[in-house]
Amino acid sequence: MTLSRRDVLKSLGTGAAVAATGATTVAASSRNPQPPTDAIAMLYDATTCIGCKACVSACTTANGLIPDTTLSGGIWQMPTDLNPQTKNIILLAKDGDKHSFVKRQCMHCVDPACVAGCPFTALEKGKYGIVEWDGSKCIGCRYCEISCPFDVPRFEWAEFNPKIVKCEFCNHRLAEGQQPACTEACPTGAVIFGTRQQLLQVARQRIEANPGKYYQDRIYGEGDLGGTQVLYLSHLPFAKLGLPEVGTESRAHYGTKVHNVIYKGMAIPLAVYVVLAAAIKRRWKVMEEEAHREEKETGLPHQL
Amino acid sequence: MSATNHRWQRDVQIYKYPLLSAPFLFWGVLAIIGITLSLGRLFTGLWFTGMSDDYAWGVWKTFNVMTLTALGSGGLAVGVFSYVFGAKKLHVVMRTALASSLLFYTTGMLALGIDVGRPWNLYHLFLPWNWNLHSSLFEVAACMTAYVVLFLSFENIPMLLEKAHMVGDAERRAKLNVWMHRVKRMLPWMIAAAYVLPMMHQSSLGSLMVIAGHKVHPLWQTQMLPALYLVQAFVCGFAAVIFILMASSLAWQRPLDMPVLADLSKYMSWTAFAFIVLRAADVLIRGVVVEAFRPTWYAVLFHAENLLVLVPALLLLSPVRRMTPRIVFVASILTAVGGILYRFTPTTLAYRAGHPSVYFPKIAEVLMSLGYIGLAVVLFIWAAKKFAILPGSINDWNDYVKHVTSKDAHGQETIKGLRIEHGAATDH
Amino acid sequence: MSAEKDKTGTIAEHLERCGVDRREFIAFCSKLMVTAPFGLALTNYLGVEAVAAEIGSAKRPSVIWLHMQDCTGCTETLLRPSQPDLATLILDIISLDYHETVMAASGHDAELALQDAMNANDGKFVLVVEGSIPTAGDGAYLKIGGKNGIDLLKEVAARSAAIISLGSCSAWGGIPSSGPNPTGAVGVDSIIKDKPIVNIPGCPPNPYILLGTVLQYAKAGSLPELDDKKRPKFAYDRVIHEHCPRRPHFDAGRFAKQFGDEGHNQGYCLYRLGCKGPVTHASCSTRHFNEVVDAWPIGVGAPCFGCTEQFVGYTIPAFQTVPITGATPPATYPDVDSTHEKGYVAATATGIAGLAGGVILGAGYVAARKFSTKPGDESVPGTDEGESK
Repeated sequence: MTLSRRDVLKSLGTGAAVAATGATTVAASSRNPQPPTDAIAMLYDATTCIGCKACVSACTTANGLIPDTTLSGGIWQMPTDLNPQTKNIILLAKDGDKHSFVKRQCMHCVDPACVAGCPFTALEKGKYGIVEWDGSKCIGCRYCEISCPFDVPRFEWAEFNPKIVKCEFCNHRLAEGQQPACTEACPTGAVIFGTRQQLLQVARQRIEANPGKYYQDRIYGEGDLGGTQVLYLSHLPFAKLGLPEVGTESRAHYGTKVHNVIYKGMAIPLAVYVVLAAAIKRRWKVMEEEAHREEKETGLPHQL
Repeated sequence: MSATNHRWQRDVQIYKYPLLSAPFLFWGVLAIIGITLSLGRLFTGLWFTGMSDDYAWGVWKTFNVMTLTALGSGGLAVGVFSYVFGAKKLHVVMRTALASSLLFYTTGMLALGIDVGRPWNLYHLFLPWNWNLHSSLFEVAACMTAYVVLFLSFENIPMLLEKAHMVGDAERRAKLNVWMHRVKRMLPWMIAAAYVLPMMHQSSLGSLMVIAGHKVHPLWQTQMLPALYLVQAFVCGFAAVIFILMASSLAWQRPLDMPVLADLSKYMSWTAFAFIVLRAADVLIRGVVVEAFRPTWYAVLFHAENLLVLVPALLLLSPVRRMTPRIVFVASILTAVGGILYRFTPTTLAYRAGHPSVYFPKIAEVLMSLGYIGLAVVLFIWAAKKFAILPGSINDWNDYVKHVTSKDAHGQETIKGLRIEHGAATDH
Repeated sequence: MSAEKDKTGTIAEHLERCGVDRREFIAFCSKLMVTAPFGLALTNYLGVEAVAAEIGSAKRPSVIWLHMQDCTGCTETLLRPSQPDLATLILDIISLDYHETVMAASGHDAELALQDAMNANDGKFVLVVEGSIPTAGDGAYLKIGGKNGIDLLKEVAARSAAIISLGSCSAWGGIPSSGPNPTGAVGVDSIIKDKPIVNIPGCPPNPYILLGTVLQYAKAGSLPELDDKKRPKFAYDRVIHEHCPRRPHFDAGRFAKQFGDEGHNQGYCLYRLGCKGPVTHASCSTRHFNEVVDAWPIGVGAPCFGCTEQFVGYTIPAFQTVPITGATPPATYPDVDSTHEKGYVAATATGIAGLAGGVILGAGYVAARKFSTKPGDESVPGTDEGESK
């Protein structure tokens, strides 16, 4: 861990005031989304991760979740995927005879698709840029699961009162001046906590200091899918780690740009309405005259 | 148009047949099972379905809502061509289209209400400060609700008023006349909205899958999805109306009216061509047409969807074929199946989840889905017997009037406001 | 060890002459099989009887054992198994012709014994060296019988057939060589370059590794396959981390963080206490010591300190964690599945959907036949006028 908790939280303090003035309304997506000024981040370096899963264990404890011990017959925590009991998981990626561990959890995107898709703003990008779920507004439609390019949100199918479960950056710990459980637990410093600016710098320094070590000398999440607040460095191709390589346009923008044009100020629907109403009204007159004639002819009332 | 030389001259009530027919009982049982299971679902979670985090949307959303409301767009399709483009022949089937639309939509929304995991929060639909205006799903939810509650229901009022008028006494009829007049005055404005709103949400149903990005196979994923879904709604709307008209003629032994059906087929084939052209342009411009020629199931699906819509459209180019009952009937079925396939595929069959997993609905899920369809069918059958929604001849109408008036407790033989020409009664 | 003992006979003959119980010998052979299941030709048989026959038919190898800068721990490891008869057994299987700790002679007699042993088996004996060799000050830090250790080693090694460096000290310098290494302690293979050398590092190593190596030489005249550090592959091919019984705890993220804490009491992984298992090639985790199950460092809750590895043992601080590279991930890790390119339409689902589609189309076909094929025919479908053939 290269940054002290104090440093990070100090720099967050200035941004908090700005953020508190109401960054919770959903803004329209743009082609170049900007992270919030107080954006925190995690930097995960797959070359340093030893796959010890201390982060998985710490996350479960810190979030008050029951460890998923299904596969091991109740003996040890052995989830195979993110699920309602597992907000953070270590997977094993293979590329020929090379392998790498990869830590997967919510990416806290700069322009989240889940936030753009949620019909009643139950998912919002809040303080520090953390994407948070509000159960009081969620209708359980699971559109967030469809939208998320990283397949992160998990739904409690088995519950009568189902929640959407995903990493929320340990915001309850941040509120007490602690760093997220996973970054604190990591014994090798493979995942560290800091502001997004700081961690991008750290990552760039690592790349510079080790040319050729990291895949494409690139930080995943710097611009990918509009940018994310969880950044990755890896020696294997990112696609092998399960991170989609689909460009820099956020899903939120891709999925709402046409919609936003059509419905901006409801201008187009209103215009269509006016045109249709005019056309119908015009024909209505003719229709009424014909209806009169028919009524006289057949003696039967016109049916609408 | 002179009504006398057409079979279908006005909408009539199919009162002759008993309600509890075999199809009614079959779909009724399914409906009861579906409703019962739905009530059960309200007390449990969604664990009994085949849905999972990999496939978070099951048949209720993707089929009952996203697909069947396309078949339920008869009101939109027939209405636009009839009231906006002036296809007068279609007036006589307007009520059939409207009634079937209302039933498809309401049962679809029932499925949607059962599908959401936290239905107690649905009241947020009425709290504007919680609306996410950028969300296609919000647009669908709000727009469909407004459409069904305010406009589609309104469009179906005339048939209810007509029936009430027929069986009511003089006092009631006076009141109904006033209401009827009001409805008539509002109708053009309501109808215009009743076309704008479905255009909005039928296209938004397409927008829903755009945000899934690379998870939807490239042959289907496009910014054109809203446009394609909207055109497909017209296509399926016509196909459904044609099918319902012909199936009910078969079931209740009623004559057909080929000129009307021919017109409906013509418009179905025009909109089908529009769909094919748009789809072809989209696939070619995006440069993914090569995917259609790989030996994969995706390619098979792609061709099936397109051919099922294109081949009937080509057949129906010929005026002679449009006048041939069997060809029209088969064409409507093939087109409907192709349309269903197109609307359904991007949500499930062409949706690649995070893991190699498979979604297949469980029995209870399927029964509930069929149950909602069954509910629509039995309600349609019941409505056809209670109200005048199917087209028939003037003689049918007169027979019906006699039937109703003979049942009238006051023993009235004439109905105020109507004059019955004796000659017309015996004309066949 | 006397020169009078028959040196030309086979091991089996000798054991019989000494009155060693055959059952004990079989037990010894089966232990050898257990501790060297792979990589040792000598034990590569299905049954213990076959191994016993192999060993029994071998000639008793002559072994000369030199102590350099040592603690005698490697001798102790040979002589301290839990079964007292084994020591005798070992000494009856090999002909230990010179060993300063256990031999009876001393002083001039001892030096004579060494010369006699070398003369009797010139060019044929196996030299086992225990302890590091000081090279600083022309080797003055070790004098045995007036000779510098380094000179003694060169003299004896020149007449040996093969050399086994037993223990980390003779393999690479061991404890004496840790910084600042005032005596210039080095391993045997830094000095002797012209003889086959087998390094058996460890502090101490498991005695069965030595026995396996010596017996193979006795039987086949060859040494076991060695790695790039001249260590027998059958014992040193894997790092402790790759075959540690506490590995599942490591994989599950369960660590002892302090001695005596909950994790330590539960037997969790000792990585965070500085276990050098990930960088230490050894076989302690499977062979243990003193023939007592779990009698090895990690087994008793002490993190491995890498005694076999030069630059690890006595070099890296005991409680400092080491980086882990190239550890084999167990199959229990969930796989990354990026199937957005590889999605597929399931066969069963397609089948059932196809069936449903077929039913619809079938019903549609039956219904369609009730409609007329005559254009403009508006008669009621399903009646004789409506239907056509």
